Amino acid sequence: MSECCGPGYASPADAINAPCEKLLYTIAIYTGTGIQKPDYLATVDVDPDSPTYSQVIHRLEMPGIGDELHHMGWNACSSCFDDGSMSRKYLLLPGVRSNNIHVVDTATDPRAPRLHKVIDGSEIKAKTDLSGPHTVHCLGSEIIISMLGNAKGEAPGGYLHLNKEFEIQGRWENSMGEIKFGYDFWYQPRHNVMVSSEWAAPNTFMPGFDLEEVGHLKYGRELHFWDFEKREPVESFYLGEDGLLPLEVKFHHDPDSTHGFCGAALSTNVIHWWRDDAGKWQWEKIIDVDNEMHPDWPIPLPGVMSAILISMDDKYLYLNNWLHGDMRQYDISDPHNPKLTGQVFMGGLLGKAPQVNGVEVAGGPQMFQLSLDGKRLYVTTSLFSTWDNQFYPEIRTKGGVMVQIDCDPVKGGMKINEDFIVDFGKEPNGPSRCHEARYPGGDCTSDIWL
Amino acid sequence: MLYNVTIANRDSATFRVNGHRPLLEQLRHQGVDLPYGCEYGGCITCAAKMTGGEVDQRRQVALNNRQIKNGYVILCVARATSDITLEIGVESHDKLYRNPFLDPLQPHELKADIASTKV
Repeated sequence: MSECCGPGYASPADAINAPCEKLLYTIAIYTGTGIQKPDYLATVDVDPDSPTYSQVIHRLEMPGIGDELHHMGWNACSSCFDDGSMSRKYLLLPGVRSNNIHVVDTATDPRAPRLHKVIDGSEIKAKTDLSGPHTVHCLGSEIIISMLGNAKGEAPGGYLHLNKEFEIQGRWENSMGEIKFGYDFWYQPRHNVMVSSEWAAPNTFMPGFDLEEVGHLKYGRELHFWDFEKREPVESFYLGEDGLLPLEVKFHHDPDSTHGFCGAALSTNVIHWWRDDAGKWQWEKIIDVDNEMHPDWPIPLPGVMSAILISMDDKYLYLNNWLHGDMRQYDISDPHNPKLTGQVFMGGLLGKAPQVNGVEVAGGPQMFQLSLDGKRLYVTTSLFSTWDNQFYPEIRTKGGVMVQIDCDPVKGGMKINEDFIVDFGKEPNGPSRCHEARYPGGDCTSDIWL
Repeated sequence: MLYNVTIANRDSATFRVNGHRPLLEQLRHQGVDLPYGCEYGGCITCAAKMTGGEVDQRRQVALNNRQIKNGYVILCVARATSDITLEIGVESHDKLYRNPFLDPLQPHELKADIASTKV
């Protein structure tokens, strides 16, 4: 079966049975921290049997400063499983502010990744009139990256198309239709559908968060359904107050499923969509995290659900409340009726868990990556440099942390692993901030099956 | 026409700049280590606090009116129009970042394109 084949796994079920991750990559930033050093890709040892378990064992600095590394993506995933000429060798690291896209070879020495190529940000602007790279997905043997603005940082941007040699092919989409903003996207090829979400124009979100700009419609509140083959949007859902800042979108991993989910960050809701028996797309709100009162604040505090993740078996949805400070696990076996099955606090503004494993947590749970077997959830605390500086100014001196939560994929439940913590406040060049994480063998937020 | 730029929190070091090129580029060329990101006036990474003098920063789109009133300038696009005094780096960012739930903006304090003109 798999001996003939390309990267990834034949199916989600095969992915679940893959060997446990031993290394993990996370980006760490100095942009916006006051430390004049490049952002870098950190290799973290996550093998409990290793003497350097729970430590950063390698740092690959980017060539320049000020990139603001953020999300990452692979050059190839399980969508290339039938293509023996492809391999999961390169991790793409876009700089949201600089527009540079760094292509990193993680295969030659997985513990010590090396820079393969930089796609220059000014070349991307000149050839495609795009800036603000965010989500990276591979598309068979090619790559698409959501770009949140035009070359001047104005919405809606579009999609950058790269070939497998990382050469700029131009814009991927044939039309942006009436779409006002871009952010995340995910596609389900068997149903010829892509779904995209909305944050804001780079010129709006990069300087920080002015709450008043939500009311001035500077932030998104719609989800867009695309004809994936025609590369154009065909239907949009206006989510209104239930869907303020719809950020991360995830389909079920099961390639036959039409169910998918989006976390609306400011409303702190989970939106569920699916195609009904009549072939029409439907949506509903399935999780609504209540605002919390903070003793010193005039305005109730929203959770700010900046990320969601679906376990590889499609049974659990994980979400964060960055300002409240909790990670949650919901059983979504019935996607219309999620059940809360786990919750842990780490940091946050409500003061419920100021320390984790002896480290003071500045920030709250933010990005997370789940092991393929669904048992280990790695969580980091920084959102975006300017937003960190507004809500958690102490992160400048304390840096970010990475925590690992043990998850029970059978009965449900979450518990912080007391043997693991990576304190990015103690990095050699000073406190840095960690964000998205990925494993060398593919993970729960990368692979798509054709 | 050349102007003096005094950097108050770097022992009042003084640099000469022209009024044609952005301050970031000219100061970096003279060895000042400054943070920056987008280099088109949109991302706020290079913001500095101006405590004296005047600049032309019409090309910036990152600052709201409260930040401008507090003296912030976006060095990657701002050009000097007089002698100026700056505080640079994150030490100067005390009033740049604001928790939006604790300290809301008034309508006239928003960014220029959406601010009300009534004070």
